[in-house]
Amino acid sequence: MPDITQSPLPTPTIPSHFIRRTGDEPPVQDAPIRAKRRPQYGQIVTGFVAIALLVLFIQSQAQNPNMEWSVTWEYMFNPVVLQGVGVTIQLAIFAMLISIVLAFGIALMIQSTNKVVSVIGRAYVWFFRGVPMLVQVLLWFNLAVLFPVILGQDTNTLISGFTAGLIALSLAESGYMAEIIRGGIISVPTGQTDAGVSLGLTRSQALARIVLPQSIRVIIPPTGNQFIGMLKATSLVSVIGGSDLLTRVQLIYGQNFKILPLLIVGVLWYLILVTIAGTGQHFLERRLNASQPGSRRSAKTTGTATTTNIRTIIGGALWRK
Amino acid sequence: MAQVAPAGTSTDTMLRIDGVHKWLGHNHVLRGVDIEVRTGEIVCILGPSGSGKSTLLRCINHLDPVDGGVIEVNGERVGYQLHDGQLYEQSERRVAKARQHIGMVFQHFNLFGHMTALDNVTYGPVRILGRPRKEAVASARQLLAKVGLADKDDSYPSQLSGGQQQRVAIARALAMEPRLMMFDEPTSALDPELVGEVLQTMRQVAEEGMTMIVVTHEVGFAREVADRVVFMDQGRVLEDGPARKVLDDPQHERTASFLRRVH
Repeated sequence: MPDITQSPLPTPTIPSHFIRRTGDEPPVQDAPIRAKRRPQYGQIVTGFVAIALLVLFIQSQAQNPNMEWSVTWEYMFNPVVLQGVGVTIQLAIFAMLISIVLAFGIALMIQSTNKVVSVIGRAYVWFFRGVPMLVQVLLWFNLAVLFPVILGQDTNTLISGFTAGLIALSLAESGYMAEIIRGGIISVPTGQTDAGVSLGLTRSQALARIVLPQSIRVIIPPTGNQFIGMLKATSLVSVIGGSDLLTRVQLIYGQNFKILPLLIVGVLWYLILVTIAGTGQHFLERRLNASQPGSRRSAKTTGTATTTNIRTIIGGALWRK
Repeated sequence: MAQVAPAGTSTDTMLRIDGVHKWLGHNHVLRGVDIEVRTGEIVCILGPSGSGKSTLLRCINHLDPVDGGVIEVNGERVGYQLHDGQLYEQSERRVAKARQHIGMVFQHFNLFGHMTALDNVTYGPVRILGRPRKEAVASARQLLAKVGLADKDDSYPSQLSGGQQQRVAIARALAMEPRLMMFDEPTSALDPELVGEVLQTMRQVAEEGMTMIVVTHEVGFAREVADRVVFMDQGRVLEDGPARKVLDDPQHERTASFLRRVH
């Protein structure tokens, strides 16, 4: 120990609670005194209670004769059910893709300096976001009442339950997506447009080439949420016989009256789909954060290759460089 | 009917601002501004905030429209054409073309966040002027070296300090080979220790004979580099003369009190 009294510097006054007393010394000399967090007793207790309740619930339901788990397992991988799962996935993906394309157009319309075009865009969002999805599904399915013949074809053969559902889901979703995309566009500082325009771009070129590519990173996370919502919203199509998962499950229990076991089949499949989509979203967002130009991970650890990759995949696919 | 007078009054006038008025809502921001800048001249515009300096710069390249008066760069009106004694706003496309020759450097740099420093500098020449990419990259590297950032061409703006970003922004503007460079408070958003490197870069640009208009609060820079200093207050030009004269012997009390406070 250095002798403090020999020190040329005046001894600083140390608050008394800061002075190490004998017995406080850590095992290794001059090592910092370790500090431990207070134990989380509450968390331990709730953990035990929650596990106990869950076990009780599962046990009671596993032994509940009305649940008929054997029926659930029997139909879980039934080809009819699996086809339904396929239709649900298709509906969700196609409706999402169509709605994103529509929404880009609508968002640009709303942001337009042309006030008429802007009002039309707003009216579109107002209607398709305002009318419940279920009502929209029914409206499109009953289109034949308004227009019995479309393009020289019988409307009812042209618009099946699947197409009516696809159109309704796409349009309803495009109202929400338009607002998400508009939010992304607004999130890019106006200075970016100023800079682009100062170089000699027109305002619309600056929007397409400078602002939109930078808005993508704001648009993607909520779009993931919307897709998960869409996976579930496809079940609305069951009211018009859209041949999706729920339609088929209902079809089966309509015949064998095993209502609950078959609804559980539906529950399990929806949870599986949502879990897969949620995991995908998680990784996409992580990748997006990692590739953020300037984030510490991007340049130094993951390398600029990833950065450029994501940028070209997302940006390049939509806007030619 | 009186025909339009030939645009440029003399061949060496780079910028002519004549009786420019501008309202922002009910606020009369520019109240008849007249400024003339000759080719190769370096003019610093000083003035308290809200005096209309930045708005004036934005009007020069038609980022903001004027409500009256004429602005000509190199003898060409920016954003308007004259018909029967009235100015009519031109199409986006023509305005965009006119802006190509006017470089602008912003207070908040405004580098394109999704592009590397090199891409920021080559973007204009390649996408707007249609230069071959190889050529543009070569001259962009030269420009980045000139502003002292030869090793930063692969960096994204968010990986650069404010001073570095502003120097890339200057290189981006220079890459368009502008006739006139405008700086809108280029050092106001910077940490004090980074101001010097940006001013040094601007000094370098000035030495190469570029015509420059600099809105700034850096009186030292104005004294050292500017040929002329314009002092603006409440939308008017209060003083316009040789840098040393305006800074050391201001004619208006308003200018004098401003300079005392800024020093």
